[in-house]
Amino acid sequence: MAPKFYHDDPVWADIDPLPQDDGGLHPLAAINYTDEYSEAMGYLRAVMANNEFSKRILELTEHVISLNPAHYTVWLYRAKTLFEINAPLRDEIEWLNPTALKHLKNYQIWHHRQTVIEALGSPDGEADFIDSMLEHDSKNYHVWSYRQWLVKRFDLFEGKGELEWTEQMVEQDLRNNSAWNHRWFLVIGGRDGRALDEETFKREMDFAKRLVRKAPQNQSSWNYLRGLARHANSTSALKDFALEFADLSRPDEIHSSHALDLLADILATEEDQKEEARQALDLLATRYDPIRAYYWNYRKGLLEQPGAVA
Amino acid sequence: MPVRVSLRARHRNMRMKKMAAPKSSSAEAPSAEALSSRLEELPVGSDRIEELSDTENEYEDIGTITQAEQAHIDYLESVTIPIRDEPETESSKAQREAFEDIRPFLEGNPNDFPLNIFGLPKLQREKHAAFLKSALGDYPSKFAPMDAARPWLLYWSLQGLTALGCDISEYREQVTHTFSMAAYPTGGYGGGYGQYPHLAATYAAVLSLTIVGGTDAYESINRRAMWHFLGQMKQPDGGFTMAPGGEEDIRGAYCGLVVLSLLNLPLSLPPDAPARKHGLTTFLDKLGAWVSSCQTFEGGLSAAPGNEAHGAYAFCGLACLSIMGPPKATLPKHIDLPRLIHWMSYRQCAPEGGYNGRTNKLVDGCYSHWIGGCWALAEAATGRALWNRPALGRYILAAAQFEDGGLVDKPGKRPDGYHSCYNIAGLSHVQHNYVYDEAESGAGSVLLDAPWRWKTQGRYQGDVLWGEDDVVGQVHPIFVTPWGAAEECRKYFEAKEGF
Ligand SMILES: [Zn+2]
Repeated sequence: MAPKFYHDDPVWADIDPLPQDDGGLHPLAAINYTDEYSEAMGYLRAVMANNEFSKRILELTEHVISLNPAHYTVWLYRAKTLFEINAPLRDEIEWLNPTALKHLKNYQIWHHRQTVIEALGSPDGEADFIDSMLEHDSKNYHVWSYRQWLVKRFDLFEGKGELEWTEQMVEQDLRNNSAWNHRWFLVIGGRDGRALDEETFKREMDFAKRLVRKAPQNQSSWNYLRGLARHANSTSALKDFALEFADLSRPDEIHSSHALDLLADILATEEDQKEEARQALDLLATRYDPIRAYYWNYRKGLLEQPGAVA
Repeated sequence: MPVRVSLRARHRNMRMKKMAAPKSSSAEAPSAEALSSRLEELPVGSDRIEELSDTENEYEDIGTITQAEQAHIDYLESVTIPIRDEPETESSKAQREAFEDIRPFLEGNPNDFPLNIFGLPKLQREKHAAFLKSALGDYPSKFAPMDAARPWLLYWSLQGLTALGCDISEYREQVTHTFSMAAYPTGGYGGGYGQYPHLAATYAAVLSLTIVGGTDAYESINRRAMWHFLGQMKQPDGGFTMAPGGEEDIRGAYCGLVVLSLLNLPLSLPPDAPARKHGLTTFLDKLGAWVSSCQTFEGGLSAAPGNEAHGAYAFCGLACLSIMGPPKATLPKHIDLPRLIHWMSYRQCAPEGGYNGRTNKLVDGCYSHWIGGCWALAEAATGRALWNRPALGRYILAAAQFEDGGLVDKPGKRPDGYHSCYNIAGLSHVQHNYVYDEAESGAGSVLLDAPWRWKTQGRYQGDVLWGEDDVVGQVHPIFVTPWGAAEECRKYFEAKEGF
């Protein structure tokens, strides 16, 4: 694309650009801006100083964003402008979609999108757009965080197959921890402490157990399972399940270090099982997860303290 | 005596050696949108080196491996989890492929660095220093996406350089000048001239000025305006936004408290702070509970309530709580500590030894600090040794040093200031002990004085894998500045009357 300039553009003839001021000394980490970037920024500083909010600001900020999408100031000023001039917000979303796909790792764009969608008051089309982002990067932190905001803001906990969607995401890659976290958010985390009903709890336990069986060494599914059980104060009920993968009487046939870890926790709470708990932790420290030996030994130390369980 | 090694293993080493050969010299412009407001996950251009085709004649150089290499191979074997993680998915495939790239560096020495007596590459102090110094210089125009992140560029280089033992006083005047141009008239710092104030930029600016130190640097900060700016960031729910109209996340809580504490600002909210309308009167109101709400079912901390547990955010949360009071009191009060420690422990990747930031993600050198830095705080709260320091030291020395200087996320990636700073900080956490002086706490008359009660306690005495030449400087566990610099800054402002 050919560089765009303002000084010979009659639309901008009323503006005296404010050039970059580096003061007297040469600054550190100075960027040798292109003439195009310098000039666009000079005009932006000038209109910001005038508190100008108008249609041409949208063009100017779009231009600067195309040159530097990480410029939070430009995004914030653009958002202000949108609201000051009552710009059509659907158009903004239409413009944001390809822009986001072009700058996948960009941070500011998600906050901007959130601001616009909040004002629009409708989540229509957002789920599809998020899907297309996750196709490029299935663990993008901002995209998932945005989805959580969306679910909460528009109360999508039950609606439009949100739960089925996470199931699909988890099935696609059962190690995608972001998908597991979103599921937790839907079922428990986002619901402001509302109690988990019996049926949902059972459904989620079954879901997690099924996926643990599919990949017994997958940390994500174990974390989810343990989180659920802890939430329902029923960790000790997982003992038989843990034993399926880690039977202390057959120390050569451990199928999951996470099962050993959980088992050690459960045994630590039981009467007269401290020795077994110690054995599980020893197996972890010496054979099945030795890089964390310091941690396992710390856990062994806790066994001596009454009532202290990890 | 050298021993023979299997053709396959040797082939792997040889191939990696060629892969790591110098690439095109023109530095790739980082598509670093993230820098300005992100404390992690710098996007790096996809410059993973092409694997050489098998048709190239590498087999002739099949030789022997040294005893040291054999020892590394044996070590890796000994810390590998002996359970196959099946079935393969996108994540495990990425893990397997990343490890193929990393393994030659953990087994051998593809960069041909001089080795220390433990057979690990020595810390390439001069090369890293040269890299960090050049990062303070001019950038070509394609670095425009870093325009809002320039405060970070200064901080990462200055912190990295001081930890490497370099004298940075030559930069003092320029640092002060650079930030005087980025100061926002109504308080705080932006990424540069004319940019809105932002808490990440403000944090990097205040820390940079703290590192260079001196009256001119300190006095260049408009503390009264800063106090008002922070008052604008404080939210009714207890957290902080990053910028006016910007996002609220746990970085804000940490950056805000760092600035309040370093500059000895009043803890009461300014009269014009919007949160006052909601009944809040101090910066600490509802803050502990807000940080607490970021702890997830996994035990780690997230950017904001409901999000995924993440290493960089965990550090922000723990450090924030450790500014609010003694870790032994504030951590257990606001965090389920056993679950946090469980999650932190699992961030250490086996057998790599480095850390990842989230469950089932890849090892990355920057978490050497984000998670590595959490340990001193967690150990201050528990009084126990909790983590495998030698394994992290091994990853940093063997896998995170770039051939031409600078440190990296993992082999195959380009170095940058961010990964250099935080790998070096991680190495410091590995090598030095810090204790929180409980004896003094509680006696303090000044609020937010908990960060000033840390004491150094010599070097780590366990299985060290580094020589004297490989030891970096001490770093303050909360502020991530050279030991003593933060104390100087605070003392200066404590001695001042009013603003
Ligand atoms: Zn990184």
